[in-house]
Amino acid sequence: MMIRQAAKKALGITSRQSTPCSVGIFRSYHENVIDHYDNPRNVGSFDKNDPTVGTGLVGAPACGDVMKLQIKVDEKTGQIIDARFKTFGCGSAIASSSVATEWVKGKAMEEVLTIKNTEIAKHLSLPPVKLHCSMLAEDAIKAAVKDYKEKRVKTNGA
Amino acid sequence: MATATRFLRRLPRSLKLPPTLLRSNVTRVLSSFAHKTNEPFESRIRHDSSIIIRSFSSQGPAPIDYSSILQEDEFHRLANVTINNLLEKIENEVLTLKLGSLGTYVMNKQTPNRQIWMSSPVSGPSRFDWDRDANAWIYRRTEAKLHELLEEELENLCGEPIQLS
Repeated sequence: MMIRQAAKKALGITSRQSTPCSVGIFRSYHENVIDHYDNPRNVGSFDKNDPTVGTGLVGAPACGDVMKLQIKVDEKTGQIIDARFKTFGCGSAIASSSVATEWVKGKAMEEVLTIKNTEIAKHLSLPPVKLHCSMLAEDAIKAAVKDYKEKRVKTNGA
Repeated sequence: MATATRFLRRLPRSLKLPPTLLRSNVTRVLSSFAHKTNEPFESRIRHDSSIIIRSFSSQGPAPIDYSSILQEDEFHRLANVTINNLLEKIENEVLTLKLGSLGTYVMNKQTPNRQIWMSSPVSGPSRFDWDRDANAWIYRRTEAKLHELLEEELENLCGEPIQLS
């Protein structure tokens, strides 16, 4: 228990109370959200200087949510072969970005750009006040793909 | 100020408000709302006036003169603005609008970004920035305006048109 708590702190995963998180509604998290929180998938980092890695960093600490989502792309096929995330924020934000890393694996880059925040929200049964978390996860995916593409342009251009 | 006194003069004559009482109350209520910056001035005046109506009616049952009562559509407009403003105050600057089976809206201020965030059962999450040129809150991705989007969605959800600005 202690080790898990320490690990969560080290990974920067903490639960925070800030608007819109603290609205005073008595509702518990959906079991999918709790699952992602208790059994986080794909937590970690890639080397951001690796040319096959795209890094998306979205959100701001002042807003209560920061997500870093990284994708590792197969240069030949353009498929995402692996993904990692690190999120600072509420349980819904952590779960949203965790789901995002699961869903991008094994897909083509163009395909993951069609992942909609509504799908993530539906999968996690997010309440209205947490829909913004799923939108941030969608933004993180797009930012990671954009970063990878820009890096490729730089290396190919140079 | 002139708008408020003009409006108060149109109150049911049966309430028989002395003119001096009217003037002093308007100043008092208006100054308490001086801190609000985002609302257009008109809605602020209407909010204040409707509070005055309620405080005077608590002086005792007054015979209702139906010929000079508020027109129903104006009443709805005023009541909506008032209720929305009150909700905002009560819930610590988070506005929650529960429409039962139709869904729930949540709106809040996101001060670090200078944005208003809205969560809609129809269009999902959106974030509005203040556009000085358009004098409106705009969601950059869709160029939608906050008030217009709300009006359109609420009309489609509830089946009745509503005016929010």
